[in-house]
Amino acid sequence: MNLITLCARAIASMRYNKTRSFLTTLGIIIGVTTIIAIVALLKGLDRTIDQEFSSLGTKTIYVQKLELEIGLRRHRNFEEISKRPDLTVADAAAISKLPTVRAAVPNIHRDLGTLTRGVYEADECLLTGIGEGGDLTGNWVVSEGRFITRYDQQHRNMVCVIGSYVAGNLFGPGEEPLGQTLEVEGRRYTVVGVLEEKGASFGHPQDNQIYVPVETYIKYYSLPEGRASVFRGIRIEVLPEEKVPVEAAVADVEELLRLRHGLRYYEDNDFGLNTQESMLSSLNTIRSVLWLVMVGVAGISLLVGGIGIMNIMLVSVAERTREIGIRKAVGASDADVMVQFLSEAVALSSVGGVVGIFLGLAAGAFVSAITPLQAAAPWWTVVLGVGFSAAVGIIFGIYPARKASGLNPIEAIRYE
Amino acid sequence: MAARKKTPAARSPVDGLIELVGVSKVYNPDRVPVHALADVDLQIAAGEYVAIMGPSGSGKSTLMHILGCLDTPTSGSYSLRGQEVSRYTGKKLAHIRNRDVGFVFQRFNLLPRLTAAENVELPLLYARAPADRRREVVADLLAKVGLSDRGHHRPNELSGGEVQRVAIARALANDPAIILADEPTGNLDSKSEDDLMELLDSLNAAGRTLVVVTHEDSVARHAKRVVLLHDGRVV
Ligand SMILES: Nc1ncnc2c1ncn2[C@@H]1O[C@H](COP(=O)(O)OP(=O)(O)OP(=O)(O)O)[C@@H](O)[C@H]1O
Ligand SMILES: [Mg+2]
Repeated sequence: MNLITLCARAIASMRYNKTRSFLTTLGIIIGVTTIIAIVALLKGLDRTIDQEFSSLGTKTIYVQKLELEIGLRRHRNFEEISKRPDLTVADAAAISKLPTVRAAVPNIHRDLGTLTRGVYEADECLLTGIGEGGDLTGNWVVSEGRFITRYDQQHRNMVCVIGSYVAGNLFGPGEEPLGQTLEVEGRRYTVVGVLEEKGASFGHPQDNQIYVPVETYIKYYSLPEGRASVFRGIRIEVLPEEKVPVEAAVADVEELLRLRHGLRYYEDNDFGLNTQESMLSSLNTIRSVLWLVMVGVAGISLLVGGIGIMNIMLVSVAERTREIGIRKAVGASDADVMVQFLSEAVALSSVGGVVGIFLGLAAGAFVSAITPLQAAAPWWTVVLGVGFSAAVGIIFGIYPARKASGLNPIEAIRYE
Repeated sequence: MAARKKTPAARSPVDGLIELVGVSKVYNPDRVPVHALADVDLQIAAGEYVAIMGPSGSGKSTLMHILGCLDTPTSGSYSLRGQEVSRYTGKKLAHIRNRDVGFVFQRFNLLPRLTAAENVELPLLYARAPADRRREVVADLLAKVGLSDRGHHRPNELSGGEVQRVAIARALANDPAIILADEPTGNLDSKSEDDLMELLDSLNAAGRTLVVVTHEDSVARHAKRVVLLHDGRVV
């Protein structure tokens, strides 16, 4: 009997008992859905992270008051952390003198909300005080003019470099932003540079930046204190020298800051050195938790599903004892009967698998639709789903199928 | 109980399609043994038409099951077309049931979930016949038993006589040399019985070997030889 006939027969026999078949496959459906959905989620997470980080500086070290972790944040005492010394422009200057460091740029920002210029408006603008080299650490390309320089910084120049969104919304179509003045919270800055468009990162727009020299910023705005200083205080973006590994630069910066903060050898760091690496490592925690959840849920539901299939197949063998006897009487070999019942078990579990694959893909599509995660299941998860469900069918179908094939034809026909 | 050894000389030299020598069947040998067949010798030549009769419990069905390779004797020898099949197992017996013998039971002949045509098709499926040949043979056989218009009916939509005729069509599917029927008319009225026996007669007339178990003299009359069983022995 060829495969197609077998499948057709197995499916016909499933349709004979639709409700029972559906209930039996529920476990498999849940198991496979979980596998596909979680792999899709993990893949989406990876893809999104890759994209986000490539728009940030990949080698940039972010020196902050707080050690940053994405996701599962262990309990932090923000009261304690806010008492740590603030990072300063002088810290940045000292770090930039390290031989392993190419640039160390202080960075502090505030939300401006909607900014207007004549008839023009731009929403959700951000004012950032920054130092020379901020284009390098922030992975910016200056499309027109120049970036903030050391000279601007030292002289507290009233200049600004604007993101493409700001340039596009606050200046008219034929208008050249360079050399124009931009009024921000009552102060007038001359536009000296326009940045190339970058798009959003972690769902945040980036092209809404107005960069001004950090010293200019500090002159006009008081630095945040207390809890606000933890996230909103000055941070220093450090770019290691080319060919210097990030870890080497991290070690140098750490040593220097410990010295400047007067820490004893037994005291912990009172600052965070956040790199893509360190943030990703905390992401790995999420990833392993997701994997564990997947393996757990999928494993248990596949096991339960498999036992369900074995149970239903045993019931089916008992119900169809006479059928088995007749089949043997007209020439079915033990192997024929075995294959018949095994294929029914596999058909049951595979249908569950296919339904699970569709549900899993749908779950991924749903997540992609409502979150920035591009949760797409790769093709091999489909193979995995089919493979797992078929394997469950075979493993849990063998025992009932053996039971069926081992029946004595005469006793089976006489069975009441 | 051990079978007496028979010498080859005791065998019938004629066209022995079926040869049973000293065949015994004991059910439940460990607990309460039932000697269903005791030292049965039986020769059936190709083309014969034999009726097996005897009181209830005399071992008729047991004998038929052994002849049909549905069961194996406890002792003794059964040779079919010169092959000693009494010690065959599994796959070989299945092959004989599929190709060499067609079996018709008194009841529960057909698979209730399958249509008449699908029931007739079963032996062809197990013989791995290609689909077009299966379709052809099924149509021919249903026509032969006069049920061309009932192919899509399920057994519960057929009369008792029709069910038995479908069973005969199925027994013929792989064109076996032997048809074994265990009380094929046991549940039928006399009209259906006559129709069925006419069908069986025509099979024998066409050269097929026929063995029919029956309680009815009206059925036994159709056969050319009657074998009488009593307490598991041929009398
Ligand atoms: N599976 C079995 N286990 C134990 N005893 C059995 C079994 N099958 C049949 N027997 C016994 O073997 C004897 C012969 O049974 P068999 O079915 O061959 O009789 P029969 O001649 O066909 O009877 P009937 O005319 O009623 O069909 C009976 O005594 C029966 O009880
Ligand atoms: Mg009987």
